[in-house]
Parts: sequence; C-alpha cells; structure tokens
Amino acid sequence: MTTITPTEPRTSLRSPASALSFGGVLRSEWIKMRTLRSTVWSYIAVVALTLGMALLLALTTASGVDGAPDMLGGPAEAQVGLFVQASTFGVFLAQLVVAVLGVLVISGEYGTGMSRSTFTAVPKRLPVLAAKAAVLFVVTFLVGLVSTVGAYFVSTAVYSAHDVSASLTDPDLYMPLLGASLYLALVAVFSLGVGMMVRSSAGGIGIVLAFLLVVPTILQLVPADWAQDLHPYLLATAGTNMFAPTEITGTETLTTWQDLLVSLAWVGASLSAAAVLLVKRDA
Amino acid sequence: MCPCRGIRNFDVMITAEGLTKRFGAKTAVDDISFTVRPGQVTGFLGPNGAGKSTTMRMIVGLDRPSEGGVTVNGKAYAQHRAPLREVGALLDAKAVHTGRTAENHLLAMAATHGFGKQRVREVIELTGLESVARKRVGGFSLGMGQRLGLAAAMLGDPATLLLDEPVNGLDPEGVLWVRQFVRHLAAEGRTVFLSSHLMSEMAMTADHLIVLGKGRIITDAPVADVIAGGTRSRVHVRSPHASQLAELLAGPDITVMRAESGVLEVTGLEASGIGDLAAQHSLAIHELTPKNASLEEAYMALTADAVEYRTEALR
Repeated sequence: MTTITPTEPRTSLRSPASALSFGGVLRSEWIKMRTLRSTVWSYIAVVALTLGMALLLALTTASGVDGAPDMLGGPAEAQVGLFVQASTFGVFLAQLVVAVLGVLVISGEYGTGMSRSTFTAVPKRLPVLAAKAAVLFVVTFLVGLVSTVGAYFVSTAVYSAHDVSASLTDPDLYMPLLGASLYLALVAVFSLGVGMMVRSSAGGIGIVLAFLLVVPTILQLVPADWAQDLHPYLLATAGTNMFAPTEITGTETLTTWQDLLVSLAWVGASLSAAAVLLVKRDA
Repeated sequence: MCPCRGIRNFDVMITAEGLTKRFGAKTAVDDISFTVRPGQVTGFLGPNGAGKSTTMRMIVGLDRPSEGGVTVNGKAYAQHRAPLREVGALLDAKAVHTGRTAENHLLAMAATHGFGKQRVREVIELTGLESVARKRVGGFSLGMGQRLGLAAAMLGDPATLLLDEPVNGLDPEGVLWVRQFVRHLAAEGRTVFLSSHLMSEMAMTADHLIVLGKGRIITDAPVADVIAGGTRSRVHVRSPHASQLAELLAGPDITVMRAESGVLEVTGLEASGIGDLAAQHSLAIHELTPKNASLEEAYMALTADAVEYRTEALR
C-alpha cells in the first residue's frame, strides 16, 4: 500500500518550502481582481464615463465660449478652470461605479462561498482585508488617473479650436486631476469596508449609494443649522471638494487638505469597523 | 523529518478538546473531544444537523469555538506559517467564485502561499480537470465542483485532509476514484478526516469512525468494532407456518418481527437453532438466511435517539 506505482496519483509537492506571506496575499487578490469580468467592465465604464462626460461638457461649454467673447483668450486661471471642470465631470458618475465595485469585491466572495476558500488559505483574515484594500486603491487610483488625464486630452481636442488651452504641468490643473483620482480610490475602499460589514451585494450597494447620493441631498434640504454644518463633512462633499470648483459643489468651508483629512477619516472608519467585525464573526 | 529528499513527516494529528459551538440558544457542537490520527482514514458520521460541518469549520478556523479548542499538529490552524501545507480542506464544493475559471481560482489560492503555476498544473492533472480548467466555475456540475475542491485542497501537499462529503454528486467512477485517492493519501501517512452520509462508502473507505449525534460523540471506534457492536445479527426466515414458528421461537432474549406474511426476522437465535426447532415440530422452512449487520444498520441503531429531524415512517 505504501509503494507508489506510476499509475497512482502523484500527490506530493516538489516546490521548495513556501509559506503564507502578505506579498502572496496581495498577489492572490490581484489575480482575483483581474480574473473577474465584472471588475474589468467596471473599470472600462469608469474610463468611458470620464472621457464621454469630458467630451459632452467641453462641447457644450465651447459653444458657450463662442457666444461669450469675454472668455476668448480670457485669463489663464479661467481657462485652466474649464479644463478641470471638463476632465473631472465624469467622476461624479464614475464614483457610483467604483462604489459598486468596492462592495462587490468582497460581497461577491460571501455570495458565492469563495470567502470560505479565501479564509481557509488566510485564516488570520485581516491580511485579506488589507490586501483587498491595497489592490483596490492602487488599481482604482491608476484607472482614475488614466481617465482624467485622458479626459484632459479630449477637452484639449475640443477647446484648442477655440483658443482655450491649459498645460498639464500646471499644478492648478494636475492637482485636481490627482485629487479626483484619489477620491475615486477612496470611495472604492470605503465601499469595500461597507461590503465587508454587511456581506451582501444588494445591501452594501444600497448603503453606499444612499451615503454618496441621498444623504448629501437630504442634508442640504433640511432647514436646520446642524444639517448645513454637517454637510461639508460628508465623504461625498469633502471628497469632491478636493478637486471640483466651488460652482459645482456649492459649499467650500474646508481647505483642500482638510477635505482630504475628512475623506481619509471616513475610509479609516469604514475599514476599522470592517476589520473588527471580520475578526470577531465566524467567516 | 528528512531534509535530504523532500520527504515529509506526516505525523500530524487533529486534537479537539471540549470543543463547543453555540449559535444563539442552539448548541451545534456540545463539548466534544477526539483525536484524528495519521495514516488512516477517519470517518465522521452523523445525521443532518449533528454538527459535523461546524466541527470541520472550527478545525480550519472559519468558525470560532464558543468553548474548548482544536489543534492541528499541536497548534491552532491559524498559527501555522503555511496553513495550506498543514490542512487541505474540501468543506463545500461551491466555495468558489462562479465568475472565475477553475485555473484562475487555483492560481489565486496558490499565490497566497507562493505555490507556483507548476503546482496548479499538477493538481489540475491529479484531479482530471484538464478539459475544463479554463472554463468558468459557474457552469460546473457538482461533480466537477468536487474535483476542483479536491484540487484546491491538494495545492499545499497537506499533511491532513478534511473532506466534507467528497463523493457527493460524483458518478460511480468518480466515487471509486475518490475512494482510491483517499486510501492512497492515508497510505502515504497523511491524516484523512472524511465525512459522508453514505454508510456503505464509509465501510469501504474508513478505518476508524467518529459518530456524532446532536452535537455529541456517540461512538469513536474502529469501523469493525462499530459494525460488530452496533446490532446483533439476525436471521431471515420464510415459512408457510410462520405464525406457529413465531410462537415457538418466542423467548426472553429473542425478538421476532413479521416483515410480511410468511416471513420472520429473528434476532437472538442462530440459523441452526431455528432450523432444529422447526424440524422438531415438523414445520417446513423455505428459506433460512443469516444476515450480518451492515454499517448502515449499526449507524441507524447508534443514532436512533440522536436524529434531529426524524421522518415518520409511512403507515
């Protein structure tokens, strides 16, 4: 019984001793992310929305520029503002896509039972959350950057015919593009935390969309001082204030750096709560 | 451990002590202690809801014990440097994202421990998944899902295998394959802990049995002992004088059951004794068959009081 004949299955592992490592968990999460069609399509949607909205807004604005001669060859600051507006306009829609994606990255595992395989391979669990957050953050940030820079070139193609131009090396232009990309990445990771907490795709998506869309709108409508005071501290408000001109977001009570801190706090809160529940509950 | 040829020492045991799991008011696993030893197949039997799966989930740390604990090779599963090299678990054939291909699923699992692509190819061959490796798991049959689960369990060349209903959904050829595979793994010195509701399968596969009922261990013994001790053997008697014979047979340690008209199931008396008795009274006997207790009967006898959801016999 102990002799292994050639026809019997060879079960042993020849590769040198290898062990569980955080680098390995990172690679695993990267493989998981790129081998699902839903992820790939979500990121294609982010690029398409950002470029498409840039084209639409630039075309609309350009016809307005023609009608308003004072903008032609206007101050450089105003010209840069037009580019920022066009390049980041799609982010308001793309944030909903990455929010859904962030939830699905984890709720999809609970929904299909994949989580049991994942947490058997990584029984300490927390490295999974950290690796998922890291991969999601980096990929979303890079896709956001490619989208907004692409949107800048789309805007350039439209505006150049109207003598409106801005340079990508201008901090007033590239800082908002970086901010918009960062915002998308933070929304995705925030949603990952929510998805980990509720473990359900429908519930998680409902919560993050309500949090990004419904709550800010309701707070603006509530005729009370506390509601107006609270509004700038929402993730959707502070996050979009990092890059969007005041005309779009309405309020501007915090500096850009404060906006960044508030956004980071939301993401930190979401991930911390998710981590506590992840360790405490049965997987 | 022999470092020279990569041959591993599989002296690994699963040891549970006072293991308890409560879900709210319900106690799924109630203070159980057992040891699963290497080099043999240990069967884990019990009716639905007995706590088998919960116990297996606690071994790999998916469920946290309410009290007590379980160790693999002296350490909690999560404390090992390379958990997948300690335990390979097939807890549920559907523990895979349906949108991913089998190969990519295995690559993602292997990546956590740094097992290479070569190892993924090996386990795909080992489980006969070559033709479907690049198909998405959502379209897999249950049998294919079981093979993929086994492939994932084998990734780390583990010293211990935990298999929850591994033959579920397999065709006869697949069942035979799993049986041989599991015997082979145990012969290599590995610890194999296998649950199944197919008692006949256990009789052919397992060396040792742990029977669970209502979260408690009912028996923990070699398979042969369970079969021998579970029920007394009985004799199947067919006779045109069944009623007369039944009256004659009646005695303190003898049970006579009428299965159908003209047929008796006798427990407590040897076939020869029944034959002699019939001859003394000149009663014709058409059939006299001794029946050995099957594992199934032994199991039913053992768990009769511990069945959570009993089906009332049709009348």
